[in-house]
Amino acid sequence: MKKKLLIVEDEESLRELYAEELEDNGYDVVKASNGKEGIELVKKEKFDLVIMDIRMPEMDGIEALGKIISMDGKIPVIIYTAYSNYKSNFMTWTADAYLTKSSNLDELVEKIEELLS
Amino acid sequence: MNMKSRKKIFYWVFKIFIPNLILATYIISVLIYYEDIKLKTYILLICGMLIYFFTRLYYYYYKTGFFLWNNLKGISQVINEFKKGKFIFKESDIGEPIVSGLMKELITVGKQFDSIVSSQSDELKKFNEFYSHIICSINSYFMIIDKNDNLIYANEGFCKKFNLELDSITGKSLESLFYFLNTRLRIAINQVRDDVERDSIVIKNVHLMSVNRDSIIADLKLSGMVVNGEDQIVIIMDDITDRFSKDYHTSILSHLTETIGDETETDKLYYNILFGVTSGSGLGFNRAMLFLVEDDDLEGKIAVGPDSFEDAIEVWNSLSSTEIDLNAEYPVDIKPNKLLEKVQKFKIPLSAGNILTQSVKRMEKIHVVDASNDERMDKEMREFMEVNEFIVMPLISFNKSIGVIVADNKYNMTGITHQSIDLLSIFSFQAASLIESYMNLIEVKGEMKKLEERQDAIVESEKMAAVGRIASHIAHEIRNPLVTMGGYAKRIVKSVQQENSEKKILQSAEIILNESERLEKILSNVMDFTRPSKYIKEFNDLNHIIRDTYWLLKNVLSEKKIKLKLDLEKNLPNVKSDFNQMKQVILNLFQNSMDATPEGGRIEVITESDDENVIIRVRDTGTGINEDDPNVIFEPFFTTKITGVGLGLANVKKIIKDHKGKIYVANRDEGGVEFTIKIPLPVRENDDEN
Repeated sequence: MKKKLLIVEDEESLRELYAEELEDNGYDVVKASNGKEGIELVKKEKFDLVIMDIRMPEMDGIEALGKIISMDGKIPVIIYTAYSNYKSNFMTWTADAYLTKSSNLDELVEKIEELLS
Repeated sequence: MNMKSRKKIFYWVFKIFIPNLILATYIISVLIYYEDIKLKTYILLICGMLIYFFTRLYYYYYKTGFFLWNNLKGISQVINEFKKGKFIFKESDIGEPIVSGLMKELITVGKQFDSIVSSQSDELKKFNEFYSHIICSINSYFMIIDKNDNLIYANEGFCKKFNLELDSITGKSLESLFYFLNTRLRIAINQVRDDVERDSIVIKNVHLMSVNRDSIIADLKLSGMVVNGEDQIVIIMDDITDRFSKDYHTSILSHLTETIGDETETDKLYYNILFGVTSGSGLGFNRAMLFLVEDDDLEGKIAVGPDSFEDAIEVWNSLSSTEIDLNAEYPVDIKPNKLLEKVQKFKIPLSAGNILTQSVKRMEKIHVVDASNDERMDKEMREFMEVNEFIVMPLISFNKSIGVIVADNKYNMTGITHQSIDLLSIFSFQAASLIESYMNLIEVKGEMKKLEERQDAIVESEKMAAVGRIASHIAHEIRNPLVTMGGYAKRIVKSVQQENSEKKILQSAEIILNESERLEKILSNVMDFTRPSKYIKEFNDLNHIIRDTYWLLKNVLSEKKIKLKLDLEKNLPNVKSDFNQMKQVILNLFQNSMDATPEGGRIEVITESDDENVIIRVRDTGTGINEDDPNVIFEPFFTTKITGVGLGLANVKKIIKDHKGKIYVANRDEGGVEFTIKIPLPVRENDDEN
């Protein structure tokens, strides 16, 4: 059975890119354009993993992360953002992984595989 | 009555009797010859004659002062006595017996006269004493000079003050009494002499210095008078030295406080303080030196005082020739001389048992009267001071000695009086607090400078932070498109190897193209903001620009179903502005409002003007600004939009600022925001002329 991933990213082109790449890697992908949408989706559906940006309108990734953990502490969350300087702070924010956005999506795919195995 | 006078009486009895006898003999002879007269008749005749004779004798002798002429010599003596204005004449002084009753009376009157005169002179003496008491007890000194400027009289106070003997100065000229004669005094004397009728002349703050080098500052009053036909001038001197020096010191200090506030003028301040000590020439001391505590040493800072007696006189003379203006000459410039040089070389550790350090440590003044025999003095100090008597006055501020003032009278060689010590101690107290506060001021200034430097550093680091912020912002903005581009490029590479890849390649390429365009846009936005703008400023009608922009956006507005209402003031004054930049401003504001306003919303643009500004208001019914200070939206890289660099409003602000205008934004109570732009009207021509 395909694993179901949730991508929370405000930038449409990136969202599409991730989705295409991950689908190519055999994942089922659901897309959300901000934290709020993402949480609504987490409430309704069961995901195997969440990939989330930080800076987003409506609800940012940090707030969304907190809410997701409070709803279902078992879902692995990967923070995937351009802000490299947040990395150190994420140790306390209990995300499962922190990755800096890169055109080389192999890193992301590897991390997902690692977390889901 | 002695024999002589008796003889005289007999002489006169005889003298009167003989003519009577001759006349009686003649009458009796005639009667005997012509008439036949009885003896009885003769006897009667002779009796009658005798009666006549004695009656006459009686009359002369007792009644009318018999024989007055006999005292003629005496009378002339008496008259001479009267002429003398006194009558100490005794009866025995007359060389002949006083036989005349009148003479006796005359002498009695004379004696009475004498007693009157002498009682009156007693009275006068009393008055005289009374007045001289008054004259002695008044503080003023006075002297009287004649038409040749020679002294006729000076009162006791004058002699005492200037240490002169009245006897030895009477008749001497003013020039020989005073070291120098104040020019103002000389002029005043001549004025009084030229016009005796005039009221007295008063000249204030005159410095007088006697030949004995005692000096005072006095207000002088000169009045002319005529005594025994001679013109004389009374000069009354009101000694105001103390008052004057107190005022002088206070005013110097306060004046210095006001005028000197620059740390580069430290020496000048010190010099002027010391100048106060020696101020008004003989008013204070001849020389004054300032030593201040620096860490663990006592260092000579500055000195005021002439190098020689000739210099001293020159200084005093020049000072006294003008009305001493308390403030005009302050602050004075430092005149370097040997004394100053010597003092500035002085430096001893506080631990030394020197007389100056003692004064500092004990916070006590030390009055050295006889330096050559004073145990507290060492050889070096004796050589340093060169005088026998001097005073060391500690400068105490907030219960701490900050140094000493040393003062002496090297040149007029008069002793240091308690009065001047008291004055100096008051002065030192004030000077100490002045120096202290001055030092504090300098310290504060130093600290402020440091703070400024630190602030500069902070600003610099803030700039760096801003650069960092900008860089990270741009990095973030750029990263997304780059990641996207890179991602799709990779997908193209992957797709190429697959079948039916054309569609995917095309899609990816399109995305890459879009993203690269976006990157270019970001970069040009950043460049716009950082590039120094060139403005072409002409008089533009802002209403015109607003209408233009409206037409430009009309389609977009109707697409978004936003109503735009223009409420533009007729005859709005033109403002000096760059047409294109102002268009950019209006366009940015419109776009901002359009982005913030939901469909069906309303945008209102109002222009108005007052005396100084043209005002543009842009109101919308959008979401408002959810910040404590809505004006943060003008900060570079502030953005709420999903896409956008956050430079649009920052750019607007920059342009308005470059037009010397102001822009601010506020949330409206009814929702949405209102932007207000104020652009100053050019200053009117006629205002320029004023």
